[in-house]
Amino acid sequence: MRAVGVVVILAVAIALSISMLIARDAVTNKINSVRASTGNTITVSPKGFFGFNGGGTPLKESDVTDLLSIPNVTAVQESLSEELTSTKTSLSSPTPAGSLGGQFGFGAGTGSGGEFGGSSSGTTFSIPIRVIGTNSPGNAVVGGANGGGSEKLTSGAAYSPTSTADVAIVGSSLASKNKLTVGSTFTAWNTKITVVGIFSAGSTFTDASVLMPLATVQKLADATGDVTSATVTVNSLNNVASADKAVAKKLGSAADVTSTQATTEASLAPLNSVKTISTYTLVGSVIGAAIILLLSMLMIVRERRREVGVLKALGAPNKSIISQFIAESTTFTILGAVVGLVVGVLISSPITSALVSASGGTSSNSGFVRRAGGGGFGAGGSGFTPPAGGFANRGTGNFHFGGFSNTITQIHTSAGWSTLGFALIAAIVIAALGSTVAAATIVRIRPAEVLRSE
Amino acid sequence: MLVVENLDKTFHTGAGDVHAVQNVSFDAKDGELVAILGASGSGKSTLLSLLGLLDAPDRGSIEIDGTQLANLDSAGRTKYRSRQVGFVFQQFNLIPNLNARENVKLALEFAHWPKDDRDHRANELLGIVGLDAGKADRRPAKLSGGEQQRVAIARAFAAQPQLILADEPTGSLDKATGQKIVELLREVATTQKATVLVVTHDEKIAKKADRRFEIEDGVLKEIA
Repeated sequence: MRAVGVVVILAVAIALSISMLIARDAVTNKINSVRASTGNTITVSPKGFFGFNGGGTPLKESDVTDLLSIPNVTAVQESLSEELTSTKTSLSSPTPAGSLGGQFGFGAGTGSGGEFGGSSSGTTFSIPIRVIGTNSPGNAVVGGANGGGSEKLTSGAAYSPTSTADVAIVGSSLASKNKLTVGSTFTAWNTKITVVGIFSAGSTFTDASVLMPLATVQKLADATGDVTSATVTVNSLNNVASADKAVAKKLGSAADVTSTQATTEASLAPLNSVKTISTYTLVGSVIGAAIILLLSMLMIVRERRREVGVLKALGAPNKSIISQFIAESTTFTILGAVVGLVVGVLISSPITSALVSASGGTSSNSGFVRRAGGGGFGAGGSGFTPPAGGFANRGTGNFHFGGFSNTITQIHTSAGWSTLGFALIAAIVIAALGSTVAAATIVRIRPAEVLRSE
Repeated sequence: MLVVENLDKTFHTGAGDVHAVQNVSFDAKDGELVAILGASGSGKSTLLSLLGLLDAPDRGSIEIDGTQLANLDSAGRTKYRSRQVGFVFQQFNLIPNLNARENVKLALEFAHWPKDDRDHRANELLGIVGLDAGKADRRPAKLSGGEQQRVAIARAFAAQPQLILADEPTGSLDKATGQKIVELLREVATTQKATVLVVTHDEKIAKKADRRFEIEDGVLKEIA
C-alpha cells in the first residue's frame, strides 16, 4: 500500500514536470515562431504622425538617409504619403464613403495633418486617393521590407528606383474604377501621369492607392526633401534593439521610432512569463519528486533496518543490499514516470492554456480589431488588412495596420522524443538521488546494534 | 576448533563505561555444543557479536582452525560471516518476502555456493531440520514459530560454517518446541562438525550442552 502511495506521489510530481516541460516547449516554439515572423526593420515617422491621421512635421530626406551611417543598418527606404482630393486628380476612389468614411473625413488640421482633410461636405464626402512616393516600388508592392506580403503586380512593371518620371503603379480596384490599364494616363496635381503597372493586394483599401517615384511626388506635391515615413533595415534581429536606440537618438524628438521587434517583445511578455513559470515549476517538481523518493526510501530503509542488519550478519556485502534498494527505488520511479508521462501529456494542453490565460495573454491580443465596412483614416469599405506577422507600419507604402495573424494564445502542445528523453533522464536523476541517501543509511547500519536490540 | 583469548569490549556511554566483555578466554571443539548462561545485560549477546565479527573487540584474539580473525578488514569480516559463521536468532529473523527455501538459498548465495547446487542443498537442509517438504515454498508468516526456527537453523548451517552462534534460539518457542530445537542443534552440529555456541538463560536448555559457561558482568567462567 505504501509502495502504491509512493508511486502515486511520484507520478503526480513527474506529471507536473512533464506538463511544465511540454508547456515550456510549446511556449518557446510559439515565441520563436512569432520572432521568426518579425521583420528586422525599424519604422520611422514624424512625431505624432499616424498613417494619414495625426499631425506633425515631415522628416527631412537628408536626415533619414543619414541613418545609413548607423552600424548594422543596411538599408533605408523612405516614402512620402500624400492624398489626392477630387480637386487635385482626375481619379475617382473605388471605395464608397459609407457612414464611417464620412465620420472619419474630418477637416484640415495643421502641419502635415492638414494635408489629410478629405473633401468633407456632409454626406457628399468622397474618399481621397492615397499616393505613396517611394523609390522601392518593388518592395512596396510585394511587401518586402515593409512587412506586407500580399501585394503583387498583376500587369506592367515597377518603375526604376531612381526614376523621377511622372509614372505610377496603381491599385487594381482604382484601375478598374477609372478604367486604367498599363499605358493609360490620369492627372494629379495638374500633371499627366502614365500608368506603368497595376498591383493587387486583395484589399479594397490598399488596392485603391497609387505608388509613384518619391522625387515625383515630392516635386508635384511641393514637398521637396520631405518624407513621412522610413523603413530602416537592420542586418540581424540581434542588432535591431541597438539600432532602434541609435535611430531614436539620431532623429531626436522629431520622430517616432518603432521597431517590430520591440512591439513583438512587448506582445510576447505574457508568453515569456509562462516560460519562466514553467521552467521554475519544472525544476521544482523534479526536485520535489527526488525529495519525495529520497524521504520514502529513507523511511523504507529505517523500517527495514533489522532486515538490513540480518542480511549483513549473514554475510551480505553492502553493495548487494544497496543494489536491492536501488532496484526498489528505480521500480518506484519507473512506474511513477510511466504514469506521470501519460498524465502529464494529457494535462499539458489545459495547463498551458490556463498558464497563458493567467499571464494576461488573451486571444484578442492582435493589434487592431477588424471591422467590416469600417475602414480607418477616412476610408470606407472594409477595415485594415492585417498582414502576416505585420505590425503598425505607420505611413509606409503599405497602409497596413494589423495585429498578429497568429494570435499568441493559439499554442499547440505536443510531446516528442525530447519529452520522453526528459522523462527518462528525470527518472534516472530522481532514482539516483532517492537511492543515494538510502545507500548511505544502509552502509551506516551496524548489524550488532540491530541484533542487540532484539 | 575455536580459540578465544583475553577478549575485551567496553562501551562508552553517557552514564560511564560499560565493560560488556572482560578478559574472556575459552575454546570449543568441532561438533561441540557449548551453552553460555547469563542474565539480561550480562554481556552474552555482546560476546556473540564479537565472535560473529559483527562488532570489533577492543583487545584479544579469536582463532578458528588456526586463522586469526581479529585483524580482518571489513571485506574479510563479511566473507568470514558468510562462510564460517551461522547465526540463529531468538526472533528467527527470516526475510519475510522470501519463502523457506529462498531464505536458505540466500545464505548459500552470500557464501558463493555453486548456483546449480543451491536448490539441492537448501532442500537437503530443510529435510535435515525436519521441515515438511510441502512447506518449503511457504513464506515465514505461513509457518509456526518452531518451523521458522527450523528454517533459521537450516539457513545457519547452509554454507557448512565451522561456528554456529545461537542467541536465545528457544526464547520465542514453547518448552517442548524449545527442547526439540536444542536437540536439533546438537544433532546438526554433530553431523556438520560445527561448533555451536548457544546463549540462553534457561538452565534446562543449558544442561543439554556438552559444556556450560556462565557470564556475569562480562566475565566468563565455565561451570560443571
